[in-house]
Amino acid sequence: MRLIRVTKRTEPLGWGSVLVFCAALGLSLSLACAALAVQGVAPLRALALLWEGGFGSVWSLEDSLRKAIPIYLCALGVSFTFRMQIWNIGAEGQFALGAIGAAWAVLTFPHLSAVALLPLMMLSAGAAGAFWALIPALTKVRLGVNEIISTLMLNYIGILLLNYLVYGPWRDPGGRGFPMTMEYPAAAQIGMLGGTRLHWGLVLCVVLSVLAWLFLNKTRLGYEIRASGESLRTARYAFMPYGFLVFLVMGICGMLAGWAGFVETSAVAHRLQPSILVGYGYTAIVVAWVARLKIGPMALAAFLLAGLRVGVEVLQLELRVPAAFGHILEGLVLLTVLAGQFFHYYRLRLEWPGQRAEGR
Amino acid sequence: MPIELIIPLLAAAVQSGTPILYATLGEMITEKSGVLNLGVEGMMMIGALSAFWISLATGNPWLGFLMGGVCAAMLAAMHGLVCLGFQGNQVVSGLALTIFGVGLANYLGTPLVGTQGIGFSKVSLPVLADIPVLGAILFHQDVLVYLSFALPVLIWAFFRYTRLGLHLRSVGENPVAAATAGLNVIGLRWLGVLLGGFLVGLGGAYLSLAYIHLWTNGLTAGRGWIAVALVIFAFWRPGRAVFGAYLFGGVMAFQLRLQAMGTDIPASILMMLPYALTILVLIASTMTGRGGEAPAALAVNMEPEE
Amino acid sequence: MKRGVLSMLVAGLAVLALMMVPVAVAAKEIKAGFIYVSPVGDAGWSRAHDDGRRAIEALDGVETTFVESVSEGPDSERVLLNMARRGHNLIFATSFGFMDSVIKVAAQFPDVVFMHCSGYKLAENVGTYFGRMYQPRYLSGMVAGAMTESNILGYVAAFPIPEVIRGINAFTLGAQAVNPDVQVRVVWSSTWYDPALEKEAANSLLDVGADVIAMHQDSPGPQVAAQERGVYSIGYNTDMSAFAPDAHLTAPIWNWSVVYKDVVQQVKDGTWASESIWWGLDRELVGLAPFGPMVPQDIQEAVLAKKEEIRSGETDVFIGPVLDQQGEVRIPEGVRATDEEMLAMDWFVQGVVGATR
Repeated sequence: MRLIRVTKRTEPLGWGSVLVFCAALGLSLSLACAALAVQGVAPLRALALLWEGGFGSVWSLEDSLRKAIPIYLCALGVSFTFRMQIWNIGAEGQFALGAIGAAWAVLTFPHLSAVALLPLMMLSAGAAGAFWALIPALTKVRLGVNEIISTLMLNYIGILLLNYLVYGPWRDPGGRGFPMTMEYPAAAQIGMLGGTRLHWGLVLCVVLSVLAWLFLNKTRLGYEIRASGESLRTARYAFMPYGFLVFLVMGICGMLAGWAGFVETSAVAHRLQPSILVGYGYTAIVVAWVARLKIGPMALAAFLLAGLRVGVEVLQLELRVPAAFGHILEGLVLLTVLAGQFFHYYRLRLEWPGQRAEGR
Repeated sequence: MPIELIIPLLAAAVQSGTPILYATLGEMITEKSGVLNLGVEGMMMIGALSAFWISLATGNPWLGFLMGGVCAAMLAAMHGLVCLGFQGNQVVSGLALTIFGVGLANYLGTPLVGTQGIGFSKVSLPVLADIPVLGAILFHQDVLVYLSFALPVLIWAFFRYTRLGLHLRSVGENPVAAATAGLNVIGLRWLGVLLGGFLVGLGGAYLSLAYIHLWTNGLTAGRGWIAVALVIFAFWRPGRAVFGAYLFGGVMAFQLRLQAMGTDIPASILMMLPYALTILVLIASTMTGRGGEAPAALAVNMEPEE
Repeated sequence: MKRGVLSMLVAGLAVLALMMVPVAVAAKEIKAGFIYVSPVGDAGWSRAHDDGRRAIEALDGVETTFVESVSEGPDSERVLLNMARRGHNLIFATSFGFMDSVIKVAAQFPDVVFMHCSGYKLAENVGTYFGRMYQPRYLSGMVAGAMTESNILGYVAAFPIPEVIRGINAFTLGAQAVNPDVQVRVVWSSTWYDPALEKEAANSLLDVGADVIAMHQDSPGPQVAAQERGVYSIGYNTDMSAFAPDAHLTAPIWNWSVVYKDVVQQVKDGTWASESIWWGLDRELVGLAPFGPMVPQDIQEAVLAKKEEIRSGETDVFIGPVLDQQGEVRIPEGVRATDEEMLAMDWFVQGVVGATR
């Protein structure tokens, strides 16, 4: 016998989901604030600073958007594979390979003009990222090797490959032996948008989002990817063989993650160095699933998460809150928002005992 | 490599494999019940911190070890709440749990950095330690290693011969059928999550109590992720988990010894060995048909009212 | 509109909360920001810098802030920008990888003084600072060389960057000065703080016959290995004897407060000008931790005598002839290596067993 009965909604929750989201956010923020208050930090000031640092000014909006770009590109990539129930967690390694691919183009053709060099970098970055993603696709389709483990191991190997290159053959001869390539020439740097701190990578994100949407919703192939994700049996009767679709989505993911690596090195870091790898490939998985693989929500989630991380830095700066607090906050926000999504699909109804004779 | 180097190498493989082994077995139990918990790294961190803290405060490392498991299970309960209570996506919840757990452990643990802890030291087992070669590898270890020898057998027997183990497996394979047969699917999955979290926490506790008697930020350094990979590597079989954990620890110890003996191979290439070999061995065992399938309902939530 | 009201409300509350904080009597003149690559709880590098920060915070008219765990990539540029935007007039970037970001941000804020640790790019408002850690490393090498019986010293190191290579070379030269037969074996852990792995790396060196372990990481992992196996060890960063009371011979240590106090004073006085600070034992930016009781008196005296010679500038570590691993002369007889050469060092001296990448 239950007092609360769970029923599935016939229609997913519409605007009410915004309310649920805010409630979840409020819950996690108040928990975090309580923790701060215990430590003697003024909780309201912390919230104000968090808002100001992440979203509350032109500067912080720029910073958050800038940080969101690589996360979003990786999230867009992994969402393709997740649609087909391919558990690809290899975006981090594909990101590294993309950065390596772009660096290869710069180091091999350092004197090309921007018109030739940037497209070449994009090509080699996309190809390198896709190559790294196609290895697990191949072992999965041909040998039946589980992709979680192969993509995870390839992340480590890709990062070590990057390390090998910048500690070894690609090390900047003028860099006093530090692990980095030479600084990219101006022709290899993606430019800024007007007088802002935002770069053309943002435009790339918009273009790719539109293309991805068109592909998934307006083409036969896109339809099959979505359909085979819903059931493997559908996939068996699909127009295209299942194996081909696996290669396709993995390739797309690798290319997008590779481009994230290209954009991050070319527009922001201006050289290849190990520290460009800060786990965006893993963050992207969270972003993709929290947004339930929908393109618009993914962009929003990437932006909000980036803003949260940017805001936490200001919190550190002004209130001496340790960096680890940011992780606590982020984890709490994700867990509560996730739990809140329950109400999109289900409703709770209070029932008095005895109201239903059979009981449950 | 000379024999006098091989024996310490294999002994090191066992020791560095042990924290991963505990965590792998824990995650395996959770996954067998149909729940994927990617929060292993976070739970290990919490396990390591609470074990260190409690043994320091009480002077009793056994209590600390136990509480390391209990605290990690409490963290796992958050995953249970989100996924089993609120039908949340298991992948995100697990990743969020890692972020949260690592953050919480570093946050609470900062005052303990630089403190010297207490814990377990190596104890040679009488008689067994005198067995040539094997004795030196397996029986000159600490108590927690000996404990970990028994675990895979116990878990194997649990899944094979006990009713509870069978039930746990069946909710991971086909929760709808299990529910029809009258099993409490959600309850059993809770058991899988908590029991798994407990063992994962013991793996973390091993690091701070036996491997090294101290606490620092980021103590587990990615071992949780290795455990997630090894569950798959082991095809969800406890015996193969032992093989995987020792193989990984052994290759890492091997590449360090290769450097110590003197080699020109760059360190970043040598560091790839454990990861590359894990994939290659997995491919080999898949090709020779020794593979195994994941629990059919892994990461699939059981909808209410079904 | 509604949002405006809300944010005003929040801002009002924030101001109220601020007003409750007692106002300091002396006007703060210096607002110094520190950016760390790892958490201050890493027990090593960032911790040592944070000790320095706390030393200047105690000074009159100085306010400090810090942001920890900042990745050396693009994130650092934003953190530096935020510090400059928020009214810091002195910023210390405490890791090499912040270099590009420091130069970019400094160009936008000409009135803010930036000090970058261990880099080589200067600008009108960017100075660099570092310590001649190789000097105490040499001294610790002398101790290790005198204490070893197997003539094999183990060195657990993080990554093959010049700072680490220079330290290994200095350590080796020090050991060879008292014990010409000594050999230094290097294992790269490829980590800055993974205590368990670093302990295992030390074990691997002990297995090949090393009986003194030196290290260049931020965790005391290798110390624990030495303590457990009953051999000797040389620490790093800070006095690590608490982790290995029976093993810890000494440690080359940092004392960043020296340079921080000096820079703060210069900025206060308005005398600061961009320069490359590279102080050593002479200014006590680097030093040697107290000797463990197992180090015999005569060795202690010899090391302290050498320390005095280096401190006074009478001698230094990298004076020719110095040969590399292949036996080629890298520093000719009687020549002192220039700072430039030392800062870009990417080769091992003779007597080191290991790869430089």
